[in-house]
Parts: sequence; C-alpha cells; structure tokens
Amino acid sequence: MRRQIDLHNNHFEVTVLEKSGFERFGKKLLQIEKNAPQFVDLAVNETGEGTIQFGKQSTSIKMAVKGETVFIHAFNRIFSLNIIDPIEHAASKVGGRSGLSRAPMPGTVVDINVVEGDQVKKGEPMMTIESMKMLTVIKAPRDGEVAQVHLESGQTFEKNRVLVTLAEEEEL
Amino acid sequence: MQDTIIKKVLIANRGEIVCRILRSLRNMGISGVVVYHPIDADSPAVQMADETVEIDGDTPVAAYLSVENIISACQKTGADAVHPGFGFLAENAEFAKRLAEEEILFIGPSPESIELMGDKIKARSFCLSNGFPLAPAISGDEGEESFLDQARQIGVPLLIKAAAGGGGKGMHIVREIEDLEQAIGIARGEALRFFGNDAVYAERYVEQPRHIEVQVLGDNYGKVIHLGERECSIQRRFQKIIEETPAPGLSNELRENICATAVEIAEKTGYQNAGTVEFLLAPNDEFYFLEMNTRIQVEHPVTEMVTGIDIVEMQIRIAQGEAINFSQTDVCSKGHAIELRLYAEDSENDFLPATGTLLVYDMPGGEGVRVDNGFREGMTITSAFDPMLAKLIVYAQDRPKAIERAIKALDHTIVLGVSTNIDYLKRLLSHSAYQAGLVNTGFIPQYANDLASPSLSDKQINLLLAAAALSNRDFSDPAFKLPEIHASIGNWRN
Repeated sequence: MRRQIDLHNNHFEVTVLEKSGFERFGKKLLQIEKNAPQFVDLAVNETGEGTIQFGKQSTSIKMAVKGETVFIHAFNRIFSLNIIDPIEHAASKVGGRSGLSRAPMPGTVVDINVVEGDQVKKGEPMMTIESMKMLTVIKAPRDGEVAQVHLESGQTFEKNRVLVTLAEEEEL
Repeated sequence: MQDTIIKKVLIANRGEIVCRILRSLRNMGISGVVVYHPIDADSPAVQMADETVEIDGDTPVAAYLSVENIISACQKTGADAVHPGFGFLAENAEFAKRLAEEEILFIGPSPESIELMGDKIKARSFCLSNGFPLAPAISGDEGEESFLDQARQIGVPLLIKAAAGGGGKGMHIVREIEDLEQAIGIARGEALRFFGNDAVYAERYVEQPRHIEVQVLGDNYGKVIHLGERECSIQRRFQKIIEETPAPGLSNELRENICATAVEIAEKTGYQNAGTVEFLLAPNDEFYFLEMNTRIQVEHPVTEMVTGIDIVEMQIRIAQGEAINFSQTDVCSKGHAIELRLYAEDSENDFLPATGTLLVYDMPGGEGVRVDNGFREGMTITSAFDPMLAKLIVYAQDRPKAIERAIKALDHTIVLGVSTNIDYLKRLLSHSAYQAGLVNTGFIPQYANDLASPSLSDKQINLLLAAAALSNRDFSDPAFKLPEIHASIGNWRN
C-alpha cells in the first residue's frame, strides 16, 4: 500500500509492501521512493517513546499522531509529517483548482460577502478574516457559483480549514 | 497611610502568569481567585486557584477584557484586591479607577501613572520636558526650510517617516546629508499617496540598537529602587523571545547610568509599585527612553533569579502600603539568567501563530531551571489568545554556563501536536554571534540564513518516513488493505 508523506514541503512516496513473504515473521518491508525496500520496525510504548529501525539504521524517538499528521521528536528536533492518501490527494488537487478557498492561517471570520448560490467573478471578495490583528480578504479563485460558505461571522478556524467552496465547473 | 492587609486577590488574567502570581499569594498566605473563560477551564491556573469564577464575553479575549466581569467576580468572591498580570486590563487607567470606586485595591501603580507613562506620546513629552534622554527628533513640520535646518542639526543617519504613517510605509533612512532633500521629497509623496497627508517627521535613526530595560520598584513613600537591567534585543514580529540579565558587554559605568536614569524617571513621575523603563541603546553607548511599562513584565523572572527578590510579592506589599524595607545597596545580583519564551508558532513561516492540541507536553526541570507554564497535555491551543505557552528560565553562575543550561533544558522540552519555536530557540542560543553577546534588535533578520532549519540527511529522512508510515494504522495494519490495483503500484520485485 502506497502513501505520500510530506516532510518540510517535500513529498515522498512510501510503500509498505504486501505479500512479501515476511509477514508471518512479523516483519514489514518498506520502500521509500524507488529505493531498495528495507525491513522496518517501530517499537513505542503508550507514551509514544521508543525506537524506529529502518534497514541498518535506528534512532530513539517520541511520537504522537493526530489524524493524518504524525509528530516526531528525533535527532533532538521536532518534526511534523503529513500522510496523504494518493486518491484523496488527487481529488483535493482538482478541488483546489475548481474552487476550495482554505484559510492561510488560523483566525476569525470578520465579514462574509457571499451566500450560497451567488455567482462570483475571479478575484471578487468573498470573506474577510482576521489573524494576527491583520485583515485578509479571501477572494474567489475563479468565476463560479458559491456552493457552500463553511463558517459564520465571528467563528474561529484553524489553518487550512476550507472557508468557501465554489461549485464544480461544468464540463466544457 | 491606610493599613490595608490584603486577604484575597483576584487575578484578572490567564495562562502562566496566573500560576506565577498564585505561587506568591500562596507563600504569603493570601487566597487566590482565578477568573476563566470556559475555553480555559482545564488550565493549570484554574486547578491551582483557591476559588474560581467563570466569565464570558463575545469572544474569549473579550471575557478577560471586561471591567464589569472582573468587578462582579470580586464582589461575588469578596476579593479585596486585583492583580492584573500583563496585557488585558493591566495598563488600563479606567479599570484602575473603577476598582478604586468599588474600594478594591489595584495591585499596580496609580491611574495617574498609568495615564502618563502608559501613553507613549505623553510619556515622551514628559521625558523631553524633564531632560531625560530621547532620540533627537524634529518636533513639528513647519515648512521646508525649518524642517531641513532641524534635520541637519540632528545629523545622519536620519529616519524620515510619514507623520500619519505606520507599518513601515513611507519610511526612509538618510545616511548622507546631501540626500536629505530628495528623501524628504520622496517621503512626502509617499505620505500623501498612502495616508492622504504629506506631513513627515524625522528622528535620529539608531543602527543596530539594543533593547535594554530596567526593573524599578517604588513604594508609596517616595522611595524608588532598581533591580538591574534586562537585555531584550532578540525579537521577532516586534516581540521579545529571549531575555537575559545582566546585559552582556555593558561597562559598569553604562549599566549604572542606564539604571540611575530609570530610577530618576520613576521618581519624577512619583511611581508606585513595579514598573519597567525601556531604553534603546545605540552602538556608541548613547541610550534613549523608549517607553515605560506600568505593570509586571513577561520577563520579570530573570531579575528574580539573579536578585532573589520575588517581584510579585513586592507588588502586593507595596500595594498594601508597606514601605520597601531594603535599600539600593542591599540589592545584589549574582550569576546570569536567561528566559526563553515558548510560543506555539511556525518558525519556518514568518513566526505565524500555530494551533493544535498538545498531544505531548514535556517541560524540563532540574537545577537552575524554572518553568513558568500555563498549559497541560491534552489542552487545545486556539487562535483566540497570544500564542505563548510557557517560559523557561535558566540560571547559572555565568553567561556561557547559562546558555549551555538553556540548550539542555530545551533538549528536554518536547511539545508534539502544535508547532513551536523550541528548535528555533536552540539555534538562536547556539549561534556564535549570540554566544559572543553581539545582539541587537535586528538579530533575527540579520542572521536569518544561519537560523534556518538545517537540512536532514537521507538516513534521517528515511527514519522519519518509516516511523510516520508505521504509526499510521490505515497504512501499516494489514486489516486495512487497499484493493490489489493500488497495492501493486509498489512493484519492487523487478
């Protein structure tokens, strides 16, 4: 099974190999990009502390998982990695082009200029958000119809939250 | 003199400073009331309190900013004094007045002091009329000739600003006096375009300034002392992230001069309670009054570590009418202390605040390490408040040992679930210029490249990817097998 894992804005294709013949020994093979697969073993206790082994390399780690994000303390540093299902990823990419406006940073909705069903032109202001005492106008990414406004005025949101969705573009 | 003895203090704040104030109250045998918005219900401050009162508002911040919320919580619990902490209502003169009307003691200076020194423009003109050092500036824009004359008198480098401006627009630095006229022309043009008003003003531009501040204490009987200076130049987004005392590289003469000036300013205003006088220090050792903070500072612990004086306790004693029972010469500072502000923020992305859940929240401990913390594992960090999580304060006999201890403390600080500046602070402390004490307020942009996150080796990347892959159940558990077509993509047998 294959996933894309994002680390520091780089994308890596990672595959846990099935039917490798080693499962019955409790061992897994992991392939990173097109490199030779290696045996992999993760042993952590309930507080997330333990060891990761990949081929001949190993290191002690502390980790925690929330949704698709994995937080890891290793090499005296802290990392967050995102695990992306390639199918969902492909879908959201298309969505991005066709009209999902996401929050660039956490904040609060100050003003909403559109309602569902409105026709908007590319660049038209749809929403004003406040983050860090700065106002940011969320503009329509393209011409289209507002399919959904996901938040109400005064609501707070996290980074990457979908704020406004435009309807799918009609087939040409 | 009124003989008030405080029995119950309400803390009109949230987060680590509430826990900090509660510790002093506990030592003094005073009961502590904590107000909290429901968003903070699980916080250590609420757990530590002797009594709590839930408050509400249109937004979480508004709940803590409501004067009426605080007054009614005082009446409900019978609190006889309010400690405002910092931020929120701490420098609100109207709040201090309202408390006085209700016969509740405000643990801080008089409303008059807040009004005078809390207002930058009033404080500046007060200092100017009393002969305290200010960066030379042109007072008004009264025609081109007089403006040019005054500017020439101040000399270069000179900063020309739009009078109505802000945010860095319409600002020009003039380094050669012959460029002055042209720069004023450009600045006027921009001022008109951006702010609709072509008035400009000019002040001495201080290159590579340091931010040095002095902790002062004044009692109700005219006595003012200082507890030494703090170096606060390491800033991002105009906010301090590392503070220390003593300030590295100051001559004793300069240090005494700055501290004495701070005491004189506080004396002149009749200042009562704890306050901080902030100065800009130029590379040529000239220093200028910046502003005065009429409250406890975020970075007060470094002063406490080297002097052994509990500043919050002093605030309470002064507020209840006690005289400062020691003199300037009794204050002796030993060793070196550094404070690191732990922020939920993305150091890789312009230090934007980060949100999330504290899945792992390990704070350091041990000898010479103090943690002023306001959160616990499992709490959610939202964008509703300032994103400071905790302060790590380290103490050692000298600066190199304190830096070493600070790095070690950060090595034992693990926060997972929210981006923090832990790694960034380590890189700052490890930087050779910081270790040499060569700091100024431009340090972070100046060394941006050095301070960027170092790249990882392939081996490190592989281990991280492997750990991430195996931690994700959907991914590693055979029970969650994808259909054959997807599994076969990784066809490595060839």
